[in-house]
Amino acid sequence: MRGPTIIKAEDDKTRALNNHTLMAFSGEAGDTVQFAEYIQANIQLYTMRNDSELSTPAVGNFIRGELARSLRSRSPYTVNLLLGGVDPATEQPHLYWIDYLASLAPVPYAAHGYAQYYCLSLLDKHHNPNINLEEGMKLLEMCTDELKRRLPIDYKGVLVKVVTKDGVTEVPFDNDKVVRAA
Amino acid sequence: MDKLVAQYSRPQHQNELYSEQEQQDLSQTLPPLSLKFSLPPVDNRASFLRAMTDDHSNPSCPIKLAHGTTTLAFRFQGGIIVCTDSRATAGNWIASQTVKKVIPVSRLSRGEDKPSNDPTPGLLGTMAGGAADCQYWLRYLSQQCTLHEIRHKRRITVAAASKILANLTYAYKGYGLSMGTMLCGVTPQEGPALYYIDSDGTRLPGNLFCVGSGQTFAYGVLDSNYRYDLSEEEALALGRRAILAAMHRDAYSGGFINCYHVKEEGWVHHGFDDMNPIFWKTKLDHGEFSNVTSEL
Amino acid sequence: MTSIMGHPAGGEGIGYSFSQPTAANVKQHGFYPYTDNGGSTLGITGSDFAILAGDTRSTSGYNINSRMVPKVFKIGGEDETGEGAQIVLSVVGFAADGDALRERLDAMVKMYKYKHGKPMSVSACAQRLSTILYEKRFFPYYVHAILGGLDEEGKGALYSYDPVGSYEREQCRAAGAAASLIMPFLDNQVNFKNQYIPGSGEGHALEAKKAEPLPQATVEALVRDAFSSAVERHIEVGDHLQVMIITRAGIQEVFHPLKKD
Repeated sequence: MRGPTIIKAEDDKTRALNNHTLMAFSGEAGDTVQFAEYIQANIQLYTMRNDSELSTPAVGNFIRGELARSLRSRSPYTVNLLLGGVDPATEQPHLYWIDYLASLAPVPYAAHGYAQYYCLSLLDKHHNPNINLEEGMKLLEMCTDELKRRLPIDYKGVLVKVVTKDGVTEVPFDNDKVVRAA
Repeated sequence: MDKLVAQYSRPQHQNELYSEQEQQDLSQTLPPLSLKFSLPPVDNRASFLRAMTDDHSNPSCPIKLAHGTTTLAFRFQGGIIVCTDSRATAGNWIASQTVKKVIPVSRLSRGEDKPSNDPTPGLLGTMAGGAADCQYWLRYLSQQCTLHEIRHKRRITVAAASKILANLTYAYKGYGLSMGTMLCGVTPQEGPALYYIDSDGTRLPGNLFCVGSGQTFAYGVLDSNYRYDLSEEEALALGRRAILAAMHRDAYSGGFINCYHVKEEGWVHHGFDDMNPIFWKTKLDHGEFSNVTSEL
Repeated sequence: MTSIMGHPAGGEGIGYSFSQPTAANVKQHGFYPYTDNGGSTLGITGSDFAILAGDTRSTSGYNINSRMVPKVFKIGGEDETGEGAQIVLSVVGFAADGDALRERLDAMVKMYKYKHGKPMSVSACAQRLSTILYEKRFFPYYVHAILGGLDEEGKGALYSYDPVGSYEREQCRAAGAAASLIMPFLDNQVNFKNQYIPGSGEGHALEAKKAEPLPQATVEALVRDAFSSAVERHIEVGDHLQVMIITRAGIQEVFHPLKKD
């Protein structure tokens, strides 16, 4: 978005950091992609130098460190992030909520911006740790439905990517469903 | 001319305590729910009031008023469910955890919350925004509704009652009132009727409203589970669960869950329950709130 | 709109002879008619009594202006002594507004008695006080009021108010400078918040202790403890503790010393 105009409706606001870790970002235009690709490159560099993949918690803490350093520089990055990944060894999923002030919180579900206000209560109710992918997608649909219903902004749909033990895959999602308030 | 008038008119402060009008007021039988308000002697009253009382724009304001809420009401096949939290905040201070945010708007003599389970005739109003604004103007509305009942020998419709309130808030627009209220009632003319009225002068009929700082959280739960053909038990449980969600995520909401059911015969109170045991029951029995750990 | 507001539109309605708004571009001086005189008040009820208390220090800024300015008043009594009164009002905040409020309520309650030949009930007085406060919604009294008395069944009744008249009946309430120190203590000691019955269960099954009306001696001790503790940690509280005990026998007023520093 630039001013009141949507430049591109289907922009990919995610970057895969390695085979099993995905980062989604939002915030100041320019900062977001620059920071994401900087992180992406550094993670790859680390993997090549040391010949070992970083786990999701390790990536999360690295990002936090970089954000904290940036925050104390002359021009800090204003980016909010969600970091998701599955540890290939333990097959444990991880999700981290990271904001531009370099807070890092491990959470079962997360959102940034206005979406928090509508979705978190919904996730509080319907989420449980033993949920499978199909149920997870249903839950996501409940969230997007609610955003369509109540958010004053038309956000032109979502792009859905799933991280499993086998890697990152894009999942088709019906963004044209019409939802009406009760 | 102004000079002449000034010479012979007394300064305001001499009238302060017992002006003739006030002496008359003092001896009136009924305590007047009057529309006469004293105003500060400044040009811009709204900005004076804001400087003194609005802790959002001025965190060090001297007069902190009670604020902050989650309230909801929705129509379903069995009538209307009304649920609220019970917290009142003044800045960061929790002024009270036991506020009754559902206010009966019925015959004044019947407005008391009695212990029996019989339905009480009349409407219900909810309270969000300034506590005093809601209490005062809903009481004023009760008075008007009672007068309507006496004059016309039938109960007022929710549409008419809500219009009285909306006209009132519109007349005071810009004065600094702060209220977001829902009026609920079931009348023979309308069936179950639900209106949203706020201090901007908005008046909207609808099926489902959440009002207050925790509204978005309540909407999240309510929207995803709402159907018109909910049973009474399901509807009450959903109302309570939506308030619980808002209490959990919104710091300005909390305390007790207050629940009412409005039906044809009148309204029935369904408890004023501490949220803490309900929260843990919801978490431990249904596995919800997986972001919270239950280890002690 | 003019008729509904009860005064002529356009802002010239207020009869200040010296401050007629003359031209639009005249700059007005800051209008700040309030000051905070500090102090704290507290009320607790029991099954057949109500206690209202307040310290008697009057401050402005860091100065102590007086050590004996009572904040708790008898309402609707015969004369200056307050003989025959059954209702007690405490006000904390801006003392001048407090006095004005007390005087208005006192007049209302007296007029009610002369007119109806019976004293005003506490519930009626509570509602009336609310409307008095709300009449100044757009130019508020800078006070937190607490009203105490006995209800129609003879039980202790306590009503607390915000500056513009929202009110609620409660078991206990602290107001003023040290409210944030005293209220949590009261929650725990009067309403037994966060107290559990020992051995009633493990972990989340532990049963909460139910609140019950306290005996008068216990409440009197609580009031004194609350204030002597508040004095230790708040600069605007001290000097004397004024306590009004309302029972069927009438109102008993006692003073206790508090620290003078």
